[in-house]
Amino acid sequence: MPSYTLTVNGKSQTVNAAADTPLIYVLRNDLNLTATRLGCGLSQCGACAVLADGREIRSCTTTVARVAGKKIHTIEGLPGLWAAKTGKPLTPETVHPVQQAWIDEQVPQCGYCQSGMMIAAVDLLDQNPKPSVQQIRAAFTNTPPSPHLCRCGTYTGIVAAVQRASKAIAG
Amino acid sequence: MSILGPTLTRRDFVKVGGVLVVSASIPAPAKAAAGADAATHTLDASKLASWLELHADGSIVARTGKTETGTASTAFYAQAVAEELDVDPMKVSVIGGHTDETPDGGYSAGFLGGVNNLKKVAAYTRQALLGLAAERLKVPVASLTVANGVVSGGGKSVSYADLVKGQQLSLAIPVTGRLARIDPKDPIGITDLMGIIVTGEPPMKPTEKYKAVGLSHPRPTVADIVMGKPVYSGDVKVPGMLHARMVRPATLGSTLIAAGKIDKAKFPTAEVVVQKNLVAVVSPNEWEAVSAARAVAAVTKWTEWSGLPGSGNLTSNLRSQKFEDVGRRGDLGKADAALGKAARTVAATFEQPYVRHAPMGAFVATADVKADGAITLWSQSSQAQGARAHIAHIMSVPVEKVVIRWAQGPGQYGRTTYGGDGAMADAAILSKLVGKPVRVQWTLTEDLAWSSTSPGWVADVKIGLDAKNNMVAFKSDWYSPHENDARMIGAVLAGMPEISPKTKPFYPAISTVWAYDKVPAVVESAFGVPNLAHDSANGGLRGNIMRTPWQRQQNFALEAAVEQAASVAKADPIEYRVRHTTDKRLIEILNETSQAAGWKSRPSPSPEARKAGTTPVRGRGVGVVIRSGAQWVGIAEVEVTPDTGVVKVLSFTTGVDVGKVMNPRHLKSNMEGGTVMGLGEALFEEVTFDQSKVTSTDWTKYRIPSMGDAPLVKTVFTSRDGRGINGGGEAANTVSANAVAAAFFDATGVQPKRIPLTPAYVKSILMA
Repeated sequence: MPSYTLTVNGKSQTVNAAADTPLIYVLRNDLNLTATRLGCGLSQCGACAVLADGREIRSCTTTVARVAGKKIHTIEGLPGLWAAKTGKPLTPETVHPVQQAWIDEQVPQCGYCQSGMMIAAVDLLDQNPKPSVQQIRAAFTNTPPSPHLCRCGTYTGIVAAVQRASKAIAG
Repeated sequence: MSILGPTLTRRDFVKVGGVLVVSASIPAPAKAAAGADAATHTLDASKLASWLELHADGSIVARTGKTETGTASTAFYAQAVAEELDVDPMKVSVIGGHTDETPDGGYSAGFLGGVNNLKKVAAYTRQALLGLAAERLKVPVASLTVANGVVSGGGKSVSYADLVKGQQLSLAIPVTGRLARIDPKDPIGITDLMGIIVTGEPPMKPTEKYKAVGLSHPRPTVADIVMGKPVYSGDVKVPGMLHARMVRPATLGSTLIAAGKIDKAKFPTAEVVVQKNLVAVVSPNEWEAVSAARAVAAVTKWTEWSGLPGSGNLTSNLRSQKFEDVGRRGDLGKADAALGKAARTVAATFEQPYVRHAPMGAFVATADVKADGAITLWSQSSQAQGARAHIAHIMSVPVEKVVIRWAQGPGQYGRTTYGGDGAMADAAILSKLVGKPVRVQWTLTEDLAWSSTSPGWVADVKIGLDAKNNMVAFKSDWYSPHENDARMIGAVLAGMPEISPKTKPFYPAISTVWAYDKVPAVVESAFGVPNLAHDSANGGLRGNIMRTPWQRQQNFALEAAVEQAASVAKADPIEYRVRHTTDKRLIEILNETSQAAGWKSRPSPSPEARKAGTTPVRGRGVGVVIRSGAQWVGIAEVEVTPDTGVVKVLSFTTGVDVGKVMNPRHLKSNMEGGTVMGLGEALFEEVTFDQSKVTSTDWTKYRIPSMGDAPLVKTVFTSRDGRGINGGGEAANTVSANAVAAAFFDATGVQPKRIPLTPAYVKSILMA
């Protein structure tokens, strides 16, 4: 099996995997980063979203070969991403403002889609730090390759959490 | 069995002098709880230690067989325990589900039943602690007060933690009932799904004095989910486990001719495993299992089969079936007589296709079956003791040999409430066959094709009106396949012993709660049949309950008919409903919700209603349901574009009177989420099938609401004492479908007889 060097959550790691292995299996099984959830496996729901060079990708259909050399961030890496952005030291207490907003708003019901939702929020707020409600709804619905789906229907809570995170990031 | 009588008072309690088991140290979570029996892997529910641990650091661990399904019941449990003990709810943690670490089993459907056990246990414990404190402080119990886990009286005080430090005491908890078990006479096949109930009436706080209950207490696992901790059933890793992917039959009724072989050059560590019609590929590498299973599926041969009517013919097929009379409420003769005497009648038929739970993650389970028959199963089942009994039956081992380790899963919405459905049987059968732990992950396509479904239905409704167009008679006949099938498809395919669901007794046959009590003659009847294609090799389309089961469907027909009667009466739909009820709580929440939604009184359809044109036309509608003691109101505003058939929900207001609100933030979340789920049924959801298989097998074919499909939901609720604590987690999905259908009628003047309101259906009824 070929080997690939990936930069995940700021750490360079080498894995052996078939070239067509979707990133999600490498993250969950080889690197033990299970916050990235397997949803549809078809790029139709967004549960498996991670950041590649700061932009959302779907790890269920993106092969490990395609992300070699890119900077990958998963939910586990969001505190580190925030520490790097703010120049503050990363401690066990560090929480990304998006995660803090999700906790404060108690967004998750079953919670299975929420890792992908938070990744989409981080991507959105990076590109548009002060999105309107309409822009938030559009981002979670119309950004390719598919809407981010939540069967528990927590969309109202997600919009509130993105607004809260936006305020927190603005300081 | 218990030293405690059913009407315990504080004084009696002290007289009894029960001793209290308290552990001074936190047991390691993997270890069985104090009192667990190593031979039976079962806790003794009559012992306090099985329920509650008070630790020297002031923390409290509560145990219940109920699980967190996403409605925040674990937050409510912590609040209820904290309330009765007068401690900070943040000090209370909850262990749920594990069959060897929790005492009571029981449904995880909502919090109403679940919270009562822990509330009573906490109340009994409080009394015991007060007894200990009275001795310690040398003051009578009656003069003691508790705040933040500190008992005070006579100018002295002692904390619970100090009271119990280093003591080995015991307290008996009075209980009744038993853990779930297989019962061939039961229509589901598994009985005692309520589990063990704590009995007696220990002194408990009146709701007016609640402090912890009523707070927006954070749900214990939310932070772990958000920080990405491994909390889900799919995150379980057992040393030496293999990954499995299933190769399902080509059609719903196919049997295996020959399983495909593995190309070892491509997939060196994968193996095919077969038992009867159960085919799987296992590998130590998950992606190899996925890839090899796809390759094997492409060359596996199955018999051909076609025995489904095709979803386009569902209604005519249901009409042609021989239905069994499964239940009636009300007096048929009286209703028929009243209809005969009515000034006019309104009659309509309503229907809905098959829909399904469709969570964001497919079923997953990991099993470790040992050579001696001992089974450990890591599962997301919301009915862990039912699943335990079920797996023991399938695997032909005593129930004591089975341990279910529970972990949170993607939303279950009812599909595991009966202790069945899912990947557990696949995992157990495969683990036994290969002699290693096996993790089975279903795919979305597989889940949308092979998991159980909420059956389609047809209802005929007739309403009799008097000369003033008030309702004087109501008659409904509801026809549907049963929703009792909790079988696990893996066991069916592998030919293992399974439970056999029955159509009758069909319970509860009539699930509506009749809100319009001023209508003098009401009769509701239900008629059932087995699964579609029930006699095929693999059991057909397995009908199972789904969020607000039966009532969701039956209430749709009821409310849609009332909507029609209101329109005949040229009355405002809310005023017309109020006219027919004496339920003050319903009237109150109707008023509050309509006010919040900006409802203006007028009859439907709207004066602007039209059924043609390329520009959108607006309408508004209301839906009502009473469920688990709570009154629900939904108000939708929709926009219909007649020529395209597209329906868009512009705004939605959901109101509920649950009495005392346990947790405002989570009630709001459940109201919002349930509303969105109902919008899916109103607008999109239909399980489609051809003559041989389900065809709606991904998110483009089984469409559920996206953020853009659902408006931000406005919620209306007020905590009210003296009305009890009632169900707030479930029923919002019921009112949203009704409100959308009513709003469509308001906008177009055409009443939908069917949901979902897909563009094709909308165009067909507007052009008719």
